[in-house]
Amino acid sequence: MSEPQGIAIAGDFLSLLAARGGGPLKTEHSAAAPVQTQATTVFAFHFADGVLMAGDRRATAGNVIVTDKIDKVIEIDATSVLAIAGVPATAFEMARVMQTSFEYYRRSQLQPLSLPAKVRALARLLRENLPMTMQGVGIVVPLFAGLDQTVSPSQPQIYFYDPLGAQFQAVGYAASGSGSGTIRSILSFQENYGNPRPSQMNLQQAVQFTLRLLITASEFDSATGGVNPETHTYATIKILNASGIRSLSAGEQGSFLKS
Amino acid sequence: MTEEPYRWLEAVENRREYVQDQLKGGSPAFGVKLPDGILLLGVGSGNSKVFELFDRHAMTALGHPADIEKIRQAAIDAAHMEAFTRAPEDVSLRRLISFGLSPQLKTNFEQIFSAPFIVEMLLAEISNTPETDLLVRLHYDGGFQFQSSRVIAVGSPATTEKAAQSWLNSNLPETTQKAEIVEWLLQAWWVLREGKSFTENFPSETERKAGWREALTDRIVEIGWLARQSQRVARYQPLSLNDLGLKIS
Repeated sequence: MSEPQGIAIAGDFLSLLAARGGGPLKTEHSAAAPVQTQATTVFAFHFADGVLMAGDRRATAGNVIVTDKIDKVIEIDATSVLAIAGVPATAFEMARVMQTSFEYYRRSQLQPLSLPAKVRALARLLRENLPMTMQGVGIVVPLFAGLDQTVSPSQPQIYFYDPLGAQFQAVGYAASGSGSGTIRSILSFQENYGNPRPSQMNLQQAVQFTLRLLITASEFDSATGGVNPETHTYATIKILNASGIRSLSAGEQGSFLKS
Repeated sequence: MTEEPYRWLEAVENRREYVQDQLKGGSPAFGVKLPDGILLLGVGSGNSKVFELFDRHAMTALGHPADIEKIRQAAIDAAHMEAFTRAPEDVSLRRLISFGLSPQLKTNFEQIFSAPFIVEMLLAEISNTPETDLLVRLHYDGGFQFQSSRVIAVGSPATTEKAAQSWLNSNLPETTQKAEIVEWLLQAWWVLREGKSFTENFPSETERKAGWREALTDRIVEIGWLARQSQRVARYQPLSLNDLGLKIS
């Protein structure tokens, strides 16, 4: 890995990696690069009990379905969640760098990394991945949700990125991946004309809404795996609020969907 | 000096005396193996005695704060590099101590022209079963012992450390109530701090209970809990006396 861009931060794990000659991301591209595994629908929105972040579980390579059991919503630490869209090889590596980096900072500096620093850390990883993005073989467009602990009680926030690393805070919702067009349209409609609006939904309503969103997205996007109670195929759903992160099991999702 | 074996041995012995003398005033620390986790306890100034090292690893120590900090940072660096280059499951206390911390401490102690580390440590690793949990005593000279006792004390000199450890292992009730365990550990801490004997004129329970509470006026009890079962990968949880419902006054 090349020297991390920007100013080195004391206690930053990327600085430690650079000092030891290690590195998480390789940007060399071979002309014989294989077909990428990608395509996704991930999204997050504010609801009454915090932020809900969800993702379908399908990975595709070209027109081949690689698996319907992938987890695209990843717990980074006790107060932050990442939803990945794009090339999983790069995205999972970014998640791993963030997990190690955030925990390394918290343990070595005896305080957690602030939310703005976490948001920028992901932007930095995206910028470092720019050569792969420009070559079209390693694009990642993630969503990030973290807990703002500078206010009391702590408030969960949603951020979305462009492939070059620009970060934006989402007011109500954000979506990414090949199925995100459908999701954004429905979320926008629901936010403007729905009753209840996503921000007013309780947990049961929010989960039911989430699963129906994914079912709809899968009807328009072959690369989005839907929800199928018959095969016990559900989404990855994580809730972030002041109490921390909670994952919803397939069983819970099934009962919410039926109700 | 190094060309003369006798003078080298004398210099090392002098260092040993110096380190042990410096450690005498240190605030003792403790570790307890329990069915559902490992509890570490020290009394300091907050973030000064008990530390999380990695997902399943923690330490407590007494000694010079700068030396504790150096070793803590070294352990955290090594653990995270190992986890990143291999996997978190590959981080083991046995390797961390045997191949990382112990050789460095030994080398440093025997390099008689550099300052020795003034530190005594207890490191813990939580596992899937109590039988495979690890508590390891690591000394300023790089020596280390894997401990099999239920309660381990870290103090100086070694004789009082052993006396406290023996008393706790004989008297600590078979309970999983953290508050009760912490109460007993703090009683032992107070007896050690006051330089009292665990055999002759041993303070009564009433004196011990009142003693540690009075001694805490300008100190903070630091408690680290490594949970065997947890929803999160990181098993370490800092606890306070309030969390445990223990009252000082």
